[in-house]
Amino acid sequence: MTPTIKIVLSLGLAAFVAGCGRPSNVSNDADHSIANANMESMLDSKPDNPVHSIVMPHDEPPFPPGPGRDEFVTACVVCHSPRYITMQPRFSHATWLSEVKKMKDVYGAHISDEEVLKITDYLVSINGKADSGQAPKGTYGE
Amino acid sequence: MNRRGFLQLIGATGAAALTASCNRINSVVGTSSTPDLVRFPEKTEMILLTDRPPQLETPLHYFRQDLTPNEAFFVRWHLEGIPTSVDLRTFRLNVSGHVRQPLQLSVDDLHSQFEPFSIVAVNQCSGNSRSFFEPRVPGGQWKHGAVGNAKWTGVPLKSILDRAQVKPGAVDVSFNGLDAPPLPSVADFVKALSIDHARDGEVMVAYAMNDQALPMVNGFPIRLVVPGWYGTYWVKALSDITVLPQAFSNFWTDKAYRIPSGPNGTESPKDLAKDTIPINRFNARSIFVRPEPDETLHAGIPNEIEGVAFDSGHGIKRVEVSTDGGGTWTDARLDPELGKYSWRRWRASWTPKNRGQYRLMARATNAIGETQSQGQWNRSGFMWNVISQVDVKVG
Repeated sequence: MTPTIKIVLSLGLAAFVAGCGRPSNVSNDADHSIANANMESMLDSKPDNPVHSIVMPHDEPPFPPGPGRDEFVTACVVCHSPRYITMQPRFSHATWLSEVKKMKDVYGAHISDEEVLKITDYLVSINGKADSGQAPKGTYGE
Repeated sequence: MNRRGFLQLIGATGAAALTASCNRINSVVGTSSTPDLVRFPEKTEMILLTDRPPQLETPLHYFRQDLTPNEAFFVRWHLEGIPTSVDLRTFRLNVSGHVRQPLQLSVDDLHSQFEPFSIVAVNQCSGNSRSFFEPRVPGGQWKHGAVGNAKWTGVPLKSILDRAQVKPGAVDVSFNGLDAPPLPSVADFVKALSIDHARDGEVMVAYAMNDQALPMVNGFPIRLVVPGWYGTYWVKALSDITVLPQAFSNFWTDKAYRIPSGPNGTESPKDLAKDTIPINRFNARSIFVRPEPDETLHAGIPNEIEGVAFDSGHGIKRVEVSTDGGGTWTDARLDPELGKYSWRRWRASWTPKNRGQYRLMARATNAIGETQSQGQWNRSGFMWNVISQVDVKVG
């Protein structure tokens, strides 16, 4: 990111706080609600406004308790949404292990080898399947 | 402001307490069979893959329009720190490196100092349709909606590079945007093209899509457009163009976004390819737009079948449709071409005699004979172009 971009701290914070506790404007379907009731008001109403800002919605899906949950929440969610887990099909232990190792070895997640195993176990417990013996290895990017 | 900044500001505990009281997406782990729809700023309701960084898929019915509306155009970012505020008074596109005349161009400069240039082009994520690969592979679990067709307006990259006076011996040109990694250990998302490709007169810096400013999550204020090539090269919120006297090298080209070097990027799960190359041009494919999966059609009357097809710019010349699971094929009608990088609409009419379950199939072929594959797999779930199919009920 270059210094030419200003993060509008006070504006964004105000909108974020104001967004809480208000009804969602998004969907009539209860399963699809998201807290961007005030997002639209954050958009520039005048096209000649030189500062263009948005406020991103947020998502905190509930995660079931279990061994490794704390490590998962601490180490993984700091960089990406937990939806990176929940959108995947059920993968084998080998595939999840490969994914968690990639996070540590390639992207530099701050986790120990022991935590790699704990997090893998947790991911298998919430979105895993039995090993098939030919788990496709993970890859980079998409 | 972005979420990361917010967390840094008040601390994770405070943020957790605050967000706990907010409305939010209510997903239940492991039980979702229908897609979550979500509405991001400047966007309509889209299929939510991930929210941070955002990955949003276009609902199929938008492809009934030749140009995909900006508010419905798919979104895919890699790094958590995406730009959420841009001040056009201070924003500059920096052109530097192996040039005689480095440039700092405002968006106004791009509008006023260069002839506007427009092109209609498909942008498609490398991983579009990933969720159809078997065995399944990790990554964004897109169906067929990580693609869109838009009219892009801006400045040919060649014009900008000519203004900067590229020095002899240039090899690659790299492109960086305003997005930033969440950790110092994560590589910044930077992509590159060869100098010849960058100067082909078609690769462009776009400040408008469909004659409007880009939505923030689609790359406001400017993005690279690389017609016929996968979306990974279409760097969003483009801020830095660097001309290099040597080949560009980083994680996102050396390790990520690579395909097996063999035909159509295919390999076997049991025998992964040793040689890989950077993903590049689109293969030929089609997408069923109508009917949608599990739609009920009617026996004894004509049912309209419709879809889109595209390739890397040679042009779609033929689309065949089968209504008997691939036994027999008939030619679909093609709408006029909208440009060689646009998708092309195809249509057919089908009058099923009997009720029942049917599998409809479509196969596109381009001007140089490239067609859709019978079967395909690679470890990354890239370049899906298996013959299209949709299962429908005739009631």
